[in-house]
Amino acid sequence: MSAPRDKVITGGSPANPLRDVRDRRLPRVPEACALVVFGITGDLARKKLLPAFYDLANRGLLPTNFALLGFARRDWGDGDFIALAERSAKEHARTPWRPDVWERLAANMRFVPGSFDEDEAFDNLDQTLADMSDTHGIQGNAAFFLSIPPTMFPVVLRQMERTGMAENERCGGWRRVVVEKPFGNDLASAIELNTLVDDVFGWRDVYRIDHYLGKETVQNLLALRFANTLFEPIWNAHYVDSVQITMAEDGGIGSRAAFYDETGAARDVLQNHLLQLLALTAMEEPVQFIPSAIRTEKLKVLRAVSLPDDLDAYAIRGQYEQGWLAGERVVGYTQEKDVPEDSRTETYAAVKLGVQTRRWAGVPFYLRTGKRLPRRVTEIALSFRRAPHLPFAPTDTEELGHNQLVVRVQPDEGMTLKFGSKVPGSMMEVRDVSMDFLYGETFTEASPEAYERLLLDVLLGDAMLFPLNEEVEASWDVIDPLEEHWSGQAPYRYRAGEWGPGEAEQMLARDGRVWRRP
Amino acid sequence: MSTLWDTTGSQVVKALTAERRAGGTVMSGLALTLVIVVDEKQVAEAEEAARIAASVHPCRLLLVVRRQVDAPVPRLDAEVLIGGRLGPGEAVVMRMYGRLALHAESVVLPLLAPDAPVVTWWHGPPPEVIAHDPLGVFAERRITDCAWLPDPAEGLATRAADYLPGDTDLSWTRTTGWRAALAAAFDSLSGQALGGRVEGNPNSPSAQLLTGWLHARLGAPIELVDTERPSGTHVAAVRIDLDTDREVVLRRLDAGAVSVTGGAGPDTVIQLPVRSLGELLGEELRRLDADQPYGEALGAATGVTGLAGRSGRRRHVWKDPAERANA
Repeated sequence: MSAPRDKVITGGSPANPLRDVRDRRLPRVPEACALVVFGITGDLARKKLLPAFYDLANRGLLPTNFALLGFARRDWGDGDFIALAERSAKEHARTPWRPDVWERLAANMRFVPGSFDEDEAFDNLDQTLADMSDTHGIQGNAAFFLSIPPTMFPVVLRQMERTGMAENERCGGWRRVVVEKPFGNDLASAIELNTLVDDVFGWRDVYRIDHYLGKETVQNLLALRFANTLFEPIWNAHYVDSVQITMAEDGGIGSRAAFYDETGAARDVLQNHLLQLLALTAMEEPVQFIPSAIRTEKLKVLRAVSLPDDLDAYAIRGQYEQGWLAGERVVGYTQEKDVPEDSRTETYAAVKLGVQTRRWAGVPFYLRTGKRLPRRVTEIALSFRRAPHLPFAPTDTEELGHNQLVVRVQPDEGMTLKFGSKVPGSMMEVRDVSMDFLYGETFTEASPEAYERLLLDVLLGDAMLFPLNEEVEASWDVIDPLEEHWSGQAPYRYRAGEWGPGEAEQMLARDGRVWRRP
Repeated sequence: MSTLWDTTGSQVVKALTAERRAGGTVMSGLALTLVIVVDEKQVAEAEEAARIAASVHPCRLLLVVRRQVDAPVPRLDAEVLIGGRLGPGEAVVMRMYGRLALHAESVVLPLLAPDAPVVTWWHGPPPEVIAHDPLGVFAERRITDCAWLPDPAEGLATRAADYLPGDTDLSWTRTTGWRAALAAAFDSLSGQALGGRVEGNPNSPSAQLLTGWLHARLGAPIELVDTERPSGTHVAAVRIDLDTDREVVLRRLDAGAVSVTGGAGPDTVIQLPVRSLGELLGEELRRLDADQPYGEALGAATGVTGLAGRSGRRRHVWKDPAERANA
């Protein structure tokens, strides 16, 4: 299996004499291309995609010949689309507003109206793209961003197949498709979806966005492990006692009630973000820093993930009740708007997983995620074994805990190393101290938004940060038995503003451990 | 902020430690030290640029102002700032008088962040030989600016003669926008370049380096010709002839935009604003390794060969300006 392009990507076209891998002052700019966004009026497009495009343009990272097409069922002209895009870019963009940059971007924006089952609309879109090869010099290159509910995928993809707009050869350039989670809601539906997308576009041209992988710290995890000599020797069951991966949100479900109530925390977060973080933490060293090698290693780990035998004790799900969070009273999950009163959907999930490899055998990986927890934080914490022998008196080391290495994914991106140190004074007393590396302190070169980075990678054809179809399927393989076990059970309750249900505490207490307070 | 009059290097180190404690912000992740060599008249300008650059790349700033080398009594005045007018990081502004100015490294060395890279930037005419300035010798990266010189062509030749990997010049940084625009115009173009022309200020080191870069990359003769240009800019246009009977032309419309004609796509206008000193310095601090394409362009612009093969570190060569004055 080889990846789309296993080479150093400098941007632009490879034969360009003015491009030089050593010349790192020049930005990586994609080839001339168009991007078509389906569902341009949706939340994601307005809050993330359109602002990300403006930011990319502002940083000079879009090619000179670039076109942005919006597709939606609205009776709109280009002007309405541009007005919408301008509003959302002004409101959500990260970089300052520059009218000249905007004008140039707006000049290359088109709106194609139509509904997904209308043949005419897709013929029109296909023709527009063909015309743009001349008028906008996009050379047949186009990426399609499906910012639409997964139930619509089949219709849209079939339309693309019918018009042939997904075929690279026919179009004289590359054609890529970008899909967002959820990638199905169980293994069977994921396979169905993957088969469909891969069938229409070819698996090399499918980019699945997991925006966590666009974050700097996540990419830094690979640098930390494989660029240093310090950590890899202790990155195994001989030294690691346990691993905790946490993704906590203080927010509720917002306006996603209908979607969330069908999905739940395990499918929404555990299946993709947390398992991807686990894969990056536990994977073996890739033979090369190229997409195919990294995906191969991730896939191996995901396939080695095992569930505990006693699911009752080690797979806990919870649902928040009303409580106080950050000084405000918040309602319980079942009182949220559009949520059925008898809903058994979980808003919290904690599970103990194993990784059945020589490196990790016997090391528990505790994963948890939840809504309405005290703060918004995502982190990976490796807790190391205690020293086999302590030459100090037991009272000297009472306050010494496990050594820990914590990778903070968000907020305060960075790392913390926790270890014991002598407390100054005439007594021998060892207490935990922490050594902090904060990204913002060492490099403030403003980290791009995850979407900015990922969209740019799609246009550049860099598949490094996108999970492959098989990774998605391997993840569902882990989640499906959990869902099956949980179905018919009522979730445990926790108060909004608590770190999850008490049963989750007991789950770790049973193993003689406690959850870290992130 | 603490100000120390007629002080010593050790006092400055103590003051810095005290300031860090008092500020409560012990920076643990210092990635680099930026040493700025500047004349009293340009201090404000250098400080402004350093503030902008340091906000992008947190660093310890050490400003060295050498004054009155012929003053009879050596003297050091220093100002230690944390989170002040020089941005959120740590900064020390030092004024050195008399013979101390020739031994500035004795004050600066203990102030460098431990084992972090050092970048030295001369905001003023660059030293003829970097090894003569001890502040350039211990730096991993040295940033000069030939635009300060009355005869930049000679300045570039001097830089080429003195070149070691890790040297760069801000006149090279000023070409990045043009180079990115040219590279983008050449994407998806087939054909060999037959030759071309850079139209602009023949006396500008940036125009010369741009010409040198195009020559080195395209392997075709590139001329630099004198042309009227929008004020505040160095290059008015770049034309490249291709063997496919095509001419790629990038022309500066004003201080903010450049038109592109003859590229693979339709004709267009792109934004190419003239950048501030702080932004240029920020770009320099992004990379702390040697910039080989600069070496190539410098070699091509000046006709000096073998720049890529040079290696090693400089050793300080003692040079007393007083001796020359007496001679």
